[in-house]
Amino acid sequence: MINIKLKQNIEYLTSLFLSVFAALFIGALIMMINGQNPMVGYKALVVGAFGTKYKIATTFAKTVPLILTGFATAISFMSGIFNIGGEGQLYLGAFAAAYIGFTFTNLPVFVAVILAILASALVGGLYAYFPGVLKVKYNIDEVITTIMLNSVAILFTTYLVNYPFQATQGKMGGTDMIGLSYKFTKLVKLSKLNTSIFYTAIIAIVMYYIIKKTSFGYNFKMVGENSIFSRYAGLANKKYMIRAMVISGALCGIAGCFEVYGVHYRFLQNISKGYAFDGMLVALIVRNNPLGIIFMSLFFAMLKTGSISMEVATGIPSELMLVIQSIIILFIAGEQGFKNIFKKFRANRRKLVK
Amino acid sequence: MFEDVFNLTLLQNTIRTATPLVLAALGGLLTMHAGILNIGMEGMILIGAFFGVLGSYFFSSSLMGVLLAVLSGTLIGLLFGVFTIELKSDEFIIGIAINIFAGGLTVFLLRSIFGVKGAFSSPDIMPLPDVHLPLIDKIPFLDTIFNNHSLFVYISWILVLVVYVFLYKTPYGYWLRAAGEHPESLENVGVSPKKMKYLSAILCGIFCGLAGAHLSLGYLTLFTENMSAGKGFIALAAIIFGGSNPIKTFGAALLFGFFDALGIRLQGVGIPSQFTQMIPYLATVFALFVVAQRKLKLKGR
Repeated sequence: MINIKLKQNIEYLTSLFLSVFAALFIGALIMMINGQNPMVGYKALVVGAFGTKYKIATTFAKTVPLILTGFATAISFMSGIFNIGGEGQLYLGAFAAAYIGFTFTNLPVFVAVILAILASALVGGLYAYFPGVLKVKYNIDEVITTIMLNSVAILFTTYLVNYPFQATQGKMGGTDMIGLSYKFTKLVKLSKLNTSIFYTAIIAIVMYYIIKKTSFGYNFKMVGENSIFSRYAGLANKKYMIRAMVISGALCGIAGCFEVYGVHYRFLQNISKGYAFDGMLVALIVRNNPLGIIFMSLFFAMLKTGSISMEVATGIPSELMLVIQSIIILFIAGEQGFKNIFKKFRANRRKLVK
Repeated sequence: MFEDVFNLTLLQNTIRTATPLVLAALGGLLTMHAGILNIGMEGMILIGAFFGVLGSYFFSSSLMGVLLAVLSGTLIGLLFGVFTIELKSDEFIIGIAINIFAGGLTVFLLRSIFGVKGAFSSPDIMPLPDVHLPLIDKIPFLDTIFNNHSLFVYISWILVLVVYVFLYKTPYGYWLRAAGEHPESLENVGVSPKKMKYLSAILCGIFCGLAGAHLSLGYLTLFTENMSAGKGFIALAAIIFGGSNPIKTFGAALLFGFFDALGIRLQGVGIPSQFTQMIPYLATVFALFVVAQRKLKLKGR
């Protein structure tokens, strides 16, 4: 039993490394076609992500929304319900947190921060609850409803920051600043790394515990282990599907809260550039494995930070990394299919030899 | 102010904003009939828009732009097909991957080929021609609404009928629908459901490519980052709202185009456009709810 599991893990890790390597190789080819030396490019990327204290801090800062939305994806996918509405939940959560921050500016810091986190989790969770209920009670495809609700939430918050809650001075498309004292402390000067990474670590540990140890997590696994990549397979436990949706939405909401309190100090109408989708890719690539989510978030954050330095140093547009990320997910998603074809090919060849 | 918003130009704009939705939705409903939920239309449109501009700019011909958009659409449809059909990956993961891939690739190419960030426009990009219909220009009312649109507007209307006839009056359409509904029985008749699914995926890529070319070469001649701006998702909404029927989906796309046009005009007079923009998404969730409730009631009996 243990051996089978170990064998599966090794097999999976091999595919993962092959996929990442193949994607980086394709990236190298694109650089060469573009007339640049891929070795120079990738070196600039790594140095750009880890070269100095500031750069390391920037890279780690970028892991925060990825880890949170990654866990949000993992918990929902594991239980056989697909929350693709993370982006919308993040926007609403961020706005709710900002609302607390700019409305009640004289609370004790501790109280304000707790309130903000709770508000963002509540709003995000509630926004995920509806598609969860629609799925469980009415069998309405949650993929479609959550996609639609993403656009609704983004439009709604765009309305809020441009009309009723427009900043009294300064920035267009943003709310007023949150109370000065509420801002999360920066850990490295000038970087975006702040104390939210500690909160994220705590949340990650709790999520690890929920996924791996509790009977809650046990049910999650029973429900969805086989349906990670095939969402119609397996019988899902309805109660856990809704709970998973709410937790998932809450985590996305909190990711929004941390963007406000740790990075921008106000709500902005384009506060997330697809963080929830990035987090989703992270979770999918590592098949919802908690430790995997953390490492893959770090890898994605490295690509993000490093690619900007790479662009400055070598002129290779940083968007190449988006191409590489999507190629990794394509390879991983096609892994089983590739394996089957490879097996068939080998079997056929054996037949021919005989 | 009322007259500033609700006038003939609003209807004219509706036709204009609905056209990319119509084109993309026609493609998406084909995959839907073949049993594939394609949420990668957003990215497919974006790729079509980029390669439309690329072809039109380098060959100084809008036809070449369209050809390149169709070619890129074919390839991305094929890619979608290979992964969802051949490798049996989850269609929605591939859809998301295609959206992210398209967003990255188009901006990457925009910067490495044209050396600009954000947007590229040039007088050397040849637009698609406008069409002047000779007879209705005598009737002022119809002339304003229906005449002098970009070529693809009229082509999209023809395509609605073509897709309808294809789906319901030809054996291919019958097979394509069977590939989604009863793949086993289709196999028994000796037709490969796989091939029909591939056909739907590639056609979807082509239709989205056309939608993209219309965006970047129709009324404006430029490419901007992320210019599909949710149109792929609204097209998906139209498909669901229209029950994957080409005529009804066309109607839904026109309706959603109307709200889009209305929003733009409301914004022009200082009224927030966000709520009118929300309508397609909310309407779709509501429509799904109504259908699901009806189903439950039927079961209850």
